[in-house]
Amino acid sequence: MSTESSKGLLEKVRGVRDSAMEDLAKVTLAWTSSDTFQTINAVISKPALLTAAMVRKATESAMADVLARFNLPSREDVLALSQRLTRIEMTLDDLGAGMDQLRRASAPARQQRPATREHENNGGPRPGTSPAAKEG
Amino acid sequence: MPSSDASATPGLFSRLSTMADNLVKVTTTKAAIGQTPRQAIWTLNKATLFRYTPVVKAEERHPIPLLLVFALMNKSAILDLRPGNSFVEFLLQKGYDVYLLDWGTPGPEDAQTGLGDYALEYIPRAIRKLRSFSGSDQFNLLGWCIGAMLCTLYSSLRPNDGLKSLILLTAPLDFTEHDKISLAKMTEERFFDVDRVLQAFGNMPAGLIDYGAKMLKPVENFVGGYTRLFDNLDNTKVVDSWHAMNTWVSDAIPLAGAAYRQFIVDLYRNNKLVKGTLTIRGERVDLKQLRASLLNVIGEDDHITPPCQSDKLLDLVGSTDKEVLRLPGGHIGLMAGSGAYKVAWPRIDAWLSKRSA
Repeated sequence: MSTESSKGLLEKVRGVRDSAMEDLAKVTLAWTSSDTFQTINAVISKPALLTAAMVRKATESAMADVLARFNLPSREDVLALSQRLTRIEMTLDDLGAGMDQLRRASAPARQQRPATREHENNGGPRPGTSPAAKEG
Repeated sequence: MPSSDASATPGLFSRLSTMADNLVKVTTTKAAIGQTPRQAIWTLNKATLFRYTPVVKAEERHPIPLLLVFALMNKSAILDLRPGNSFVEFLLQKGYDVYLLDWGTPGPEDAQTGLGDYALEYIPRAIRKLRSFSGSDQFNLLGWCIGAMLCTLYSSLRPNDGLKSLILLTAPLDFTEHDKISLAKMTEERFFDVDRVLQAFGNMPAGLIDYGAKMLKPVENFVGGYTRLFDNLDNTKVVDSWHAMNTWVSDAIPLAGAAYRQFIVDLYRNNKLVKGTLTIRGERVDLKQLRASLLNVIGEDDHITPPCQSDKLLDLVGSTDKEVLRLPGGHIGLMAGSGAYKVAWPRIDAWLSKRSA
Protein backbone atom coordinates (compact mmCIF):
# COMPACT_ATOMS: atom_id res chain seq x y z
CA MET A 1 0.00 0.00 0.00
CA SER A 2 2.69 2.42 1.09
CA THR A 3 4.85 1.42 -1.88
CA GLU A 4 2.00 2.17 -4.26
CA SER A 5 1.28 5.54 -2.72
CA SER A 6 4.95 6.49 -2.80
CA LYS A 7 5.09 5.47 -6.48
CA GLY A 8 2.07 7.62 -7.19
CA LEU A 9 3.66 10.51 -5.36
CA LEU A 10 6.88 10.03 -7.34
CA GLU A 11 4.93 10.09 -10.61
CA LYS A 12 3.22 13.30 -9.54
CA VAL A 13 6.55 14.89 -8.65
CA ARG A 14 7.96 13.83 -12.01
CA GLY A 15 4.95 15.23 -13.81
CA VAL A 16 5.36 18.59 -12.09
CA ARG A 17 9.09 18.55 -12.78
CA ASP A 18 8.64 17.72 -16.47
CA SER A 19 6.05 20.39 -16.96
CA ALA A 20 8.28 22.94 -15.18
CA MET A 21 11.19 21.87 -17.37
CA GLU A 22 9.12 22.27 -20.52
CA ASP A 23 8.20 25.80 -19.48
CA LEU A 24 11.79 26.52 -18.59
CA ALA A 25 12.96 25.14 -21.95
CA LYS A 26 10.62 27.48 -23.82
CA VAL A 27 11.71 30.52 -21.81
CA THR A 28 15.39 29.61 -22.10
CA LEU A 29 15.16 28.99 -25.82
CA ALA A 30 13.43 32.32 -26.36
CA TRP A 31 16.22 33.97 -24.38
CA THR A 32 19.14 32.19 -26.04
CA SER A 33 17.67 32.88 -29.50
CA SER A 34 17.31 36.58 -28.80
CA ASP A 35 19.56 39.29 -30.18
CA THR A 36 20.23 40.43 -26.60
CA PHE A 37 21.68 37.05 -25.61
CA GLN A 38 23.81 36.87 -28.73
CA THR A 39 25.05 40.41 -28.14
CA ILE A 40 25.95 39.63 -24.51
CA ASN A 41 27.73 36.47 -25.67
CA ALA A 42 29.68 38.49 -28.23
CA VAL A 43 30.58 41.18 -25.69
CA ILE A 44 31.81 38.61 -23.17
CA SER A 45 33.69 36.50 -25.68
CA LYS A 46 35.47 39.42 -27.37
CA PRO A 47 37.91 40.25 -24.54
CA ALA A 48 38.30 36.54 -23.74
CA LEU A 49 39.28 35.76 -27.31
CA LEU A 50 41.57 38.77 -27.53
CA THR A 51 43.32 37.72 -24.32
CA ALA A 52 43.58 34.12 -25.52
CA ALA A 53 45.11 35.26 -28.82
CA MET A 54 47.58 37.57 -27.04
CA VAL A 55 48.58 34.92 -24.52
CA ARG A 56 49.01 32.42 -27.33
CA LYS A 57 51.17 34.81 -29.32
CA ALA A 58 53.27 35.75 -26.29
CA THR A 59 53.75 32.13 -25.23
CA GLU A 60 54.68 31.07 -28.73
CA SER A 61 57.15 33.91 -29.08
CA ALA A 62 58.78 33.20 -25.69
CA MET A 63 58.89 29.49 -26.48
CA ALA A 64 60.42 30.18 -29.89
CA ASP A 65 63.18 32.27 -28.24
CA VAL A 66 63.97 29.53 -25.74
CA LEU A 67 63.99 26.85 -28.43
CA ALA A 68 66.17 28.99 -30.70
CA ARG A 69 68.68 29.43 -27.87
CA PHE A 70 68.97 25.66 -27.58
CA ASN A 71 69.09 25.37 -31.36
CA LEU A 72 65.85 23.40 -31.37
CA PRO A 73 63.12 23.68 -34.02
CA SER A 74 60.28 26.05 -33.24
CA ARG A 75 56.57 25.25 -33.23
CA GLU A 76 56.32 26.80 -36.72
CA ASP A 77 59.14 24.55 -37.93
CA VAL A 78 57.40 21.46 -36.61
CA LEU A 79 54.04 22.51 -38.07
CA ALA A 80 55.65 23.21 -41.45
CA LEU A 81 57.41 19.86 -41.30
CA SER A 82 54.16 18.10 -40.54
CA GLN A 83 52.44 19.79 -43.47
CA ARG A 84 55.33 18.84 -45.69
CA LEU A 85 55.08 15.23 -44.56
CA THR A 86 51.40 15.23 -45.46
CA ARG A 87 52.27 16.45 -48.95
CA ILE A 88 54.92 13.73 -49.24
CA GLU A 89 52.33 11.22 -48.05
CA MET A 90 50.02 12.40 -50.85
CA THR A 91 52.77 11.98 -53.43
CA LEU A 92 53.50 8.48 -52.12
CA ASP A 93 49.78 7.74 -52.24
CA ASP A 94 49.71 8.78 -55.90
CA LEU A 95 52.78 6.64 -56.61
CA GLY A 96 51.22 3.65 -54.82
CA ALA A 97 48.00 4.07 -56.81
CA GLY A 98 50.01 4.32 -60.05
CA MET A 99 51.88 1.13 -59.17
CA ASP A 100 48.63 -0.63 -58.39
CA GLN A 101 47.35 0.38 -61.80
CA LEU A 102 50.52 -0.80 -63.52
CA ARG A 103 50.38 -4.10 -61.68
CA ARG A 104 46.82 -4.64 -62.81
CA ALA A 105 47.63 -3.65 -66.38
CA SER A 106 50.62 -6.00 -66.49
CA ALA A 107 48.52 -8.95 -65.32
CA PRO A 108 45.45 -8.75 -67.53
CA ALA A 109 44.67 -12.41 -67.10
CA ARG A 110 44.04 -11.93 -63.41
CA GLN A 111 40.33 -11.38 -62.95
CA GLN A 112 39.58 -8.51 -60.59
CA ARG A 113 36.40 -9.50 -58.81
CA PRO A 114 36.98 -13.21 -58.36
CA ALA A 115 40.40 -12.40 -56.92
CA THR A 116 38.87 -9.92 -54.53
CA ARG A 117 36.19 -12.32 -53.39
CA GLU A 118 38.71 -15.08 -52.87
CA HIS A 119 40.84 -12.96 -50.58
CA GLU A 120 37.72 -11.72 -48.79
CA ASN A 121 36.68 -15.25 -48.02
CA ASN A 122 40.13 -15.96 -46.69
CA GLY A 123 39.93 -12.85 -44.54
CA GLY A 124 43.13 -11.33 -45.92
CA PRO A 125 43.93 -8.37 -48.12
CA ARG A 126 43.72 -8.62 -51.89
CA PRO A 127 47.08 -9.27 -53.56
CA GLY A 128 48.66 -5.98 -54.49
CA THR A 129 47.21 -4.00 -51.58
CA SER A 130 48.93 -3.27 -48.34
CA PRO A 131 46.59 -2.60 -45.44
CA ALA A 132 48.12 -0.20 -42.99
CA ALA A 133 46.80 -1.81 -39.85
CA LYS A 134 44.13 -4.04 -38.46
CA GLU A 135 41.40 -3.19 -36.01
CA GLY A 136 38.65 -4.99 -34.22
CA MET B 1 1.75 -8.04 5.54
CA PRO B 2 5.05 -8.96 7.14
CA SER B 3 5.79 -11.39 4.31
CA SER B 4 5.25 -8.68 1.66
CA ASP B 5 7.59 -6.32 3.54
CA ALA B 6 10.18 -9.06 3.69
CA SER B 7 10.00 -9.61 -0.07
CA ALA B 8 10.00 -5.88 -0.77
CA THR B 9 13.23 -5.32 1.15
CA PRO B 10 15.52 -7.50 -1.00
CA GLY B 11 13.79 -6.09 -4.11
CA LEU B 12 14.49 -2.59 -2.94
CA PHE B 13 18.10 -3.44 -2.12
CA SER B 14 18.60 -5.06 -5.48
CA ARG B 15 17.12 -2.00 -7.23
CA LEU B 16 19.27 0.38 -5.23
CA SER B 17 22.31 -1.73 -5.96
CA THR B 18 21.54 -1.68 -9.72
CA MET B 19 21.08 2.08 -9.56
CA ALA B 20 24.38 2.52 -7.75
CA ASP B 21 26.18 0.26 -10.22
CA ASN B 22 24.72 2.13 -13.17
CA LEU B 23 25.56 5.49 -11.67
CA VAL B 24 29.16 4.43 -11.09
CA LYS B 25 29.32 3.07 -14.64
CA VAL B 26 28.13 6.24 -16.36
CA THR B 27 30.22 8.56 -14.21
CA THR B 28 33.49 6.66 -14.21
CA THR B 29 33.69 4.77 -17.50
CA LYS B 30 33.27 5.25 -21.22
CA ALA B 31 30.96 2.94 -23.10
CA ALA B 32 32.46 0.66 -25.72
CA ILE B 33 31.30 2.12 -29.03
CA GLY B 34 32.34 1.40 -32.61
CA GLN B 35 32.84 -2.32 -31.97
CA THR B 36 32.16 -3.86 -35.39
CA PRO B 37 35.32 -5.56 -36.70
CA ARG B 38 37.07 -3.56 -39.39
CA GLN B 39 40.36 -3.27 -41.15
CA ALA B 40 42.29 -0.09 -42.02
CA ILE B 41 43.17 -0.22 -45.72
CA TRP B 42 44.45 3.29 -46.33
CA THR B 43 45.62 6.29 -44.34
CA LEU B 44 46.51 9.87 -45.18
CA ASN B 45 47.54 12.29 -42.46
CA LYS B 46 44.86 11.72 -39.77
CA ALA B 47 42.31 10.18 -42.14
CA THR B 48 41.80 6.42 -42.33
CA LEU B 49 39.75 4.33 -44.71
CA PHE B 50 38.27 1.32 -42.96
CA ARG B 51 36.64 -1.68 -44.50
CA TYR B 52 34.17 -3.50 -42.24
CA THR B 53 34.47 -7.26 -42.18
CA PRO B 54 31.58 -8.63 -44.24
CA VAL B 55 29.17 -11.01 -42.56
CA VAL B 56 27.45 -12.17 -45.74
CA LYS B 57 29.07 -14.53 -48.27
CA ALA B 58 30.70 -12.77 -51.23
CA GLU B 59 28.22 -14.32 -53.69
CA GLU B 60 25.26 -12.93 -51.78
CA ARG B 61 26.75 -9.49 -51.28
CA HIS B 62 25.82 -6.35 -53.23
CA PRO B 63 28.61 -5.88 -55.80
CA ILE B 64 28.84 -2.09 -55.48
CA PRO B 65 30.69 -0.98 -52.35
CA LEU B 66 29.33 1.72 -50.05
CA LEU B 67 31.49 4.44 -48.54
CA LEU B 68 30.31 6.23 -45.39
CA VAL B 69 31.54 9.76 -44.70
CA PHE B 70 30.71 11.34 -41.37
CA ALA B 71 30.96 14.95 -40.17
CA LEU B 72 34.24 16.59 -39.27
CA MET B 73 33.48 17.67 -35.69
CA ASN B 74 32.38 14.39 -34.11
CA LYS B 75 33.73 10.89 -34.29
CA SER B 76 32.28 8.47 -36.79
CA ALA B 77 31.49 5.87 -34.10
CA ILE B 78 27.87 7.10 -34.15
CA LEU B 79 27.47 5.05 -37.32
CA ASP B 80 28.43 1.98 -35.32
CA LEU B 81 27.20 2.92 -31.87
CA ARG B 82 26.83 -0.45 -30.16
CA PRO B 83 25.93 -4.01 -31.06
CA GLY B 84 22.20 -4.17 -31.73
CA ASN B 85 22.02 -0.45 -32.46
CA SER B 86 24.58 -0.01 -35.20
CA PHE B 87 23.87 1.24 -38.71
CA VAL B 88 27.10 -0.38 -39.94
CA GLU B 89 26.07 -3.73 -38.45
CA PHE B 90 22.67 -3.37 -40.16
CA LEU B 91 24.28 -2.64 -43.53
CA LEU B 92 26.64 -5.60 -43.23
CA GLN B 93 23.73 -7.91 -42.42
CA LYS B 94 21.93 -6.59 -45.48
CA GLY B 95 24.88 -7.64 -47.63
CA TYR B 96 26.64 -4.34 -48.30
CA ASP B 97 30.39 -4.06 -48.65
CA VAL B 98 30.87 -1.19 -46.19
CA TYR B 99 33.79 1.25 -46.04
CA LEU B 100 34.17 4.21 -43.72
CA LEU B 101 36.29 7.30 -44.20
CA ASP B 102 37.26 8.39 -40.70
CA TRP B 103 38.70 11.91 -40.58
CA GLY B 104 40.64 11.48 -37.33
CA THR B 105 41.37 14.37 -34.98
CA PRO B 106 42.93 17.47 -36.53
CA GLY B 107 45.93 18.95 -34.75
CA PRO B 108 47.42 22.47 -34.88
CA GLU B 109 49.25 21.47 -38.06
CA ASP B 110 45.89 20.97 -39.80
CA ALA B 111 44.59 24.50 -39.18
CA GLN B 112 45.05 25.33 -42.88
CA THR B 113 43.10 22.30 -44.07
CA GLY B 114 40.08 23.58 -45.96
CA LEU B 115 36.93 22.14 -47.50
CA GLY B 116 38.84 21.80 -50.77
CA ASP B 117 41.39 19.53 -49.13
CA TYR B 118 38.69 17.27 -47.75
CA ALA B 119 36.57 17.24 -50.93
CA LEU B 120 39.34 17.12 -53.54
CA GLU B 121 42.29 15.44 -51.83
CA TYR B 122 41.07 13.10 -49.11
CA ILE B 123 37.75 11.86 -50.54
CA PRO B 124 39.01 11.18 -54.11
CA ARG B 125 42.09 9.37 -52.81
CA ALA B 126 40.05 7.26 -50.39
CA ILE B 127 37.71 6.41 -53.25
CA ARG B 128 40.63 5.50 -55.49
CA LYS B 129 41.80 3.08 -52.81
CA LEU B 130 38.30 1.75 -52.28
CA ARG B 131 37.92 1.05 -55.98
CA SER B 132 41.29 -0.60 -56.17
CA PHE B 133 40.66 -2.69 -53.05
CA SER B 134 37.13 -3.75 -53.92
CA GLY B 135 37.77 -4.25 -57.61
CA SER B 136 34.62 -2.32 -58.41
CA ASP B 137 34.74 0.76 -60.64
CA GLN B 138 31.44 2.01 -59.27
CA PHE B 139 30.66 2.93 -55.69
CA ASN B 140 27.90 4.41 -53.58
CA LEU B 141 28.43 7.23 -51.13
CA LEU B 142 26.61 8.11 -47.93
CA GLY B 143 27.37 11.38 -46.14
CA TRP B 144 25.98 12.63 -42.87
CA CYS B 145 25.83 16.30 -41.79
CA ILE B 146 29.05 18.06 -42.85
CA GLY B 147 30.06 14.72 -44.35
CA ALA B 148 27.02 15.06 -46.62
CA MET B 149 28.09 18.57 -47.55
CA LEU B 150 31.59 17.31 -48.42
CA CYS B 151 30.10 14.46 -50.46
CA THR B 152 27.95 17.00 -52.33
CA LEU B 153 31.01 19.11 -53.12
CA TYR B 154 32.94 16.05 -54.27
CA SER B 155 30.07 14.66 -56.36
CA SER B 156 29.55 18.01 -58.08
CA LEU B 157 33.24 18.57 -58.77
CA ARG B 158 34.16 15.00 -59.75
CA PRO B 159 30.99 13.59 -61.31
CA ASN B 160 32.81 11.05 -63.48
CA ASP B 161 34.65 9.15 -60.74
CA GLY B 162 32.23 6.20 -60.80
CA LEU B 163 29.70 7.39 -58.24
CA LYS B 164 26.49 5.47 -58.79
CA SER B 165 24.34 6.82 -56.00
CA LEU B 166 24.59 9.35 -53.24
CA ILE B 167 22.72 9.40 -49.94
CA LEU B 168 22.72 12.65 -48.00
CA LEU B 169 21.62 12.60 -44.37
CA THR B 170 20.68 15.91 -42.69
CA ALA B 171 22.84 17.87 -45.12
CA PRO B 172 23.49 21.57 -44.36
CA LEU B 173 23.50 22.94 -47.91
CA ASP B 174 20.93 25.68 -48.31
CA PHE B 175 21.05 28.76 -46.07
CA THR B 176 18.38 30.78 -47.87
CA GLU B 177 15.90 30.65 -45.00
CA HIS B 178 18.38 32.16 -42.59
CA ASP B 179 15.80 32.95 -39.90
CA LYS B 180 14.80 29.32 -39.53
CA ILE B 181 18.39 28.18 -38.90
CA SER B 182 19.38 28.80 -35.28
CA LEU B 183 23.07 28.17 -35.91
CA ALA B 184 23.01 30.74 -38.71
CA LYS B 185 21.86 33.41 -36.30
CA MET B 186 24.47 32.41 -33.74
CA THR B 187 27.23 32.74 -36.34
CA GLU B 188 26.10 36.05 -37.86
CA GLU B 189 28.96 38.47 -38.38
CA ARG B 190 27.61 40.98 -35.84
CA PHE B 191 27.65 38.32 -33.08
CA PHE B 192 30.48 36.01 -33.98
CA ASP B 193 33.99 36.91 -35.11
CA VAL B 194 35.21 33.71 -36.72
CA ASP B 195 38.68 35.11 -37.46
CA ARG B 196 39.21 36.12 -33.85
CA VAL B 197 38.27 32.62 -32.68
CA LEU B 198 40.69 31.04 -35.13
CA GLN B 199 43.39 33.55 -34.23
CA ALA B 200 43.03 32.47 -30.61
CA PHE B 201 42.81 28.72 -31.16
CA GLY B 202 43.96 27.83 -34.68
CA ASN B 203 41.26 25.21 -35.09
CA MET B 204 37.68 25.56 -33.90
CA PRO B 205 37.82 23.94 -30.45
CA ALA B 206 35.55 20.96 -29.79
CA GLY B 207 34.25 22.59 -26.61
CA LEU B 208 33.00 25.66 -28.49
CA ILE B 209 31.29 23.56 -31.15
CA ASP B 210 29.67 21.49 -28.43
CA TYR B 211 28.58 24.62 -26.55
CA GLY B 212 27.06 26.12 -29.70
CA ALA B 213 25.14 22.94 -30.51
CA LYS B 214 23.90 22.51 -26.95
CA MET B 215 22.76 26.13 -26.70
CA LEU B 216 20.27 25.44 -29.48
CA LYS B 217 18.25 23.51 -26.88
CA PRO B 218 19.91 24.38 -23.57
CA VAL B 219 17.49 22.86 -21.07
CA GLU B 220 17.10 19.60 -23.00
CA ASN B 221 20.86 19.26 -23.46
CA PHE B 222 22.16 20.43 -20.10
CA VAL B 223 19.37 19.09 -17.86
CA GLY B 224 16.91 16.92 -19.80
CA GLY B 225 19.38 14.20 -20.68
CA TYR B 226 20.39 13.74 -17.06
CA THR B 227 16.82 13.67 -15.72
CA ARG B 228 16.05 10.95 -18.27
CA LEU B 229 19.06 9.04 -16.98
CA PHE B 230 18.08 9.39 -13.33
CA ASP B 231 14.48 8.39 -14.08
CA ASN B 232 15.76 5.15 -15.60
CA LEU B 233 18.76 4.50 -13.41
CA ASP B 234 17.39 1.10 -12.38
CA ASN B 235 16.92 0.04 -16.01
CA THR B 236 20.30 -1.19 -17.20
CA LYS B 237 19.20 -1.41 -20.85
CA VAL B 238 18.19 2.24 -20.95
CA VAL B 239 21.28 3.26 -19.01
CA ASP B 240 23.57 1.39 -21.43
CA SER B 241 21.94 3.09 -24.37
CA TRP B 242 22.26 6.51 -22.70
CA HIS B 243 25.85 5.75 -21.76
CA ALA B 244 26.81 4.87 -25.33
CA MET B 245 25.24 8.02 -26.73
CA ASN B 246 26.76 10.17 -23.97
CA THR B 247 30.20 8.67 -24.60
CA TRP B 248 29.93 9.64 -28.24
CA VAL B 249 28.51 13.12 -27.57
CA SER B 250 31.24 13.95 -25.07
CA ASP B 251 33.98 12.86 -27.42
CA ALA B 252 33.80 15.81 -29.82
CA ILE B 253 36.84 16.83 -31.85
CA PRO B 254 38.05 20.22 -33.11
CA LEU B 255 37.32 21.33 -36.63
CA ALA B 256 40.19 22.38 -38.89
CA GLY B 257 40.35 26.19 -38.86
CA ALA B 258 40.29 26.88 -42.60
CA ALA B 259 37.42 24.45 -43.20
CA TYR B 260 35.44 25.99 -40.36
CA ARG B 261 36.00 29.49 -41.70
CA GLN B 262 34.79 28.48 -45.18
CA PHE B 263 31.79 26.75 -43.68
CA ILE B 264 30.76 29.85 -41.74
CA VAL B 265 31.67 32.58 -44.23
CA ASP B 266 30.93 30.92 -47.58
CA LEU B 267 27.98 28.78 -46.59
CA TYR B 268 26.27 30.03 -43.43
CA ARG B 269 26.69 33.71 -44.21
CA ASN B 270 26.81 33.89 -48.00
CA ASN B 271 24.97 30.74 -49.08
CA LYS B 272 27.43 30.36 -51.94
CA LEU B 273 26.74 26.70 -52.72
CA VAL B 274 23.09 27.21 -53.57
CA LYS B 275 23.76 30.54 -55.26
CA GLY B 276 26.28 28.76 -57.48
CA THR B 277 29.15 31.05 -56.52
CA LEU B 278 31.15 28.67 -54.33
CA THR B 279 34.65 28.15 -55.65
CA ILE B 280 36.86 25.35 -54.38
CA ARG B 281 40.50 25.52 -55.49
CA GLY B 282 39.51 27.66 -58.46
CA GLU B 283 36.71 25.33 -59.55
CA ARG B 284 33.14 26.57 -59.32
CA VAL B 285 30.85 24.08 -57.60
CA ASP B 286 27.93 23.53 -59.94
CA LEU B 287 25.25 21.36 -58.35
CA LYS B 288 23.88 20.58 -61.81
CA GLN B 289 27.01 18.47 -62.31
CA LEU B 290 25.79 16.14 -59.57
CA ARG B 291 24.22 13.46 -61.75
CA ALA B 292 24.34 10.34 -59.59
CA SER B 293 21.15 8.84 -58.18
CA LEU B 294 20.31 10.88 -55.10
CA LEU B 295 18.47 10.19 -51.88
CA ASN B 296 18.12 13.18 -49.59
CA VAL B 297 17.14 12.17 -46.06
CA ILE B 298 15.67 14.90 -43.87
CA GLY B 299 14.88 14.72 -40.14
CA GLU B 300 11.56 16.46 -39.54
CA ASP B 301 12.60 17.49 -36.01
CA ASP B 302 16.19 18.34 -36.80
CA HIS B 303 17.02 21.60 -35.00
CA ILE B 304 20.71 21.61 -36.02
CA THR B 305 20.12 21.20 -39.75
CA PRO B 306 16.45 22.06 -40.16
CA PRO B 307 14.57 20.61 -43.18
CA CYS B 308 14.78 23.95 -45.04
CA GLN B 309 18.55 23.39 -45.41
CA SER B 310 18.14 20.70 -48.03
CA ASP B 311 14.50 20.25 -48.98
CA LYS B 312 14.91 22.15 -52.24
CA LEU B 313 18.09 20.31 -53.21
CA LEU B 314 16.40 18.10 -55.79
CA ASP B 315 15.57 21.15 -57.91
CA LEU B 316 19.20 22.18 -57.94
CA VAL B 317 21.02 18.99 -58.90
CA GLY B 318 21.44 17.39 -62.31
CA SER B 319 20.38 13.90 -61.20
CA THR B 320 17.35 12.37 -62.91
CA ASP B 321 16.89 9.62 -60.34
CA LYS B 322 16.31 11.58 -57.13
CA GLU B 323 14.14 11.36 -54.06
CA VAL B 324 13.54 13.09 -50.74
CA LEU B 325 12.88 11.02 -47.65
CA ARG B 326 11.38 12.97 -44.75
CA LEU B 327 11.48 10.99 -41.53
CA PRO B 328 10.54 11.68 -37.94
CA GLY B 329 13.58 12.36 -35.78
CA GLY B 330 16.28 14.84 -34.95
CA HIS B 331 19.78 15.38 -36.25
CA ILE B 332 21.25 12.33 -34.55
CA GLY B 333 18.16 10.44 -33.37
CA LEU B 334 17.10 10.00 -36.99
CA MET B 335 19.93 7.53 -37.58
CA ALA B 336 21.10 6.52 -34.11
CA GLY B 337 17.93 6.70 -32.01
CA SER B 338 16.28 3.59 -30.63
CA GLY B 339 13.69 3.61 -33.44
CA ALA B 340 16.11 4.11 -36.33
CA TYR B 341 16.35 0.39 -37.08
CA LYS B 342 12.59 0.28 -37.65
CA VAL B 343 12.21 3.46 -39.72
CA ALA B 344 15.26 5.12 -41.26
CA TRP B 345 17.55 2.15 -41.88
CA PRO B 346 15.04 -0.09 -43.74
CA ARG B 347 13.95 2.86 -45.92
CA ILE B 348 17.55 3.64 -46.81
CA ASP B 349 18.24 -0.04 -47.50
CA ALA B 350 15.15 -0.30 -49.72
CA TRP B 351 16.39 2.61 -51.84
CA LEU B 352 20.05 1.65 -51.86
CA SER B 353 19.69 -2.07 -52.56
CA LYS B 354 18.11 -1.27 -55.95
CA ARG B 355 21.13 0.84 -56.80
CA SER B 356 23.81 -1.50 -55.52
CA ALA B 357 23.54 -4.17 -58.19
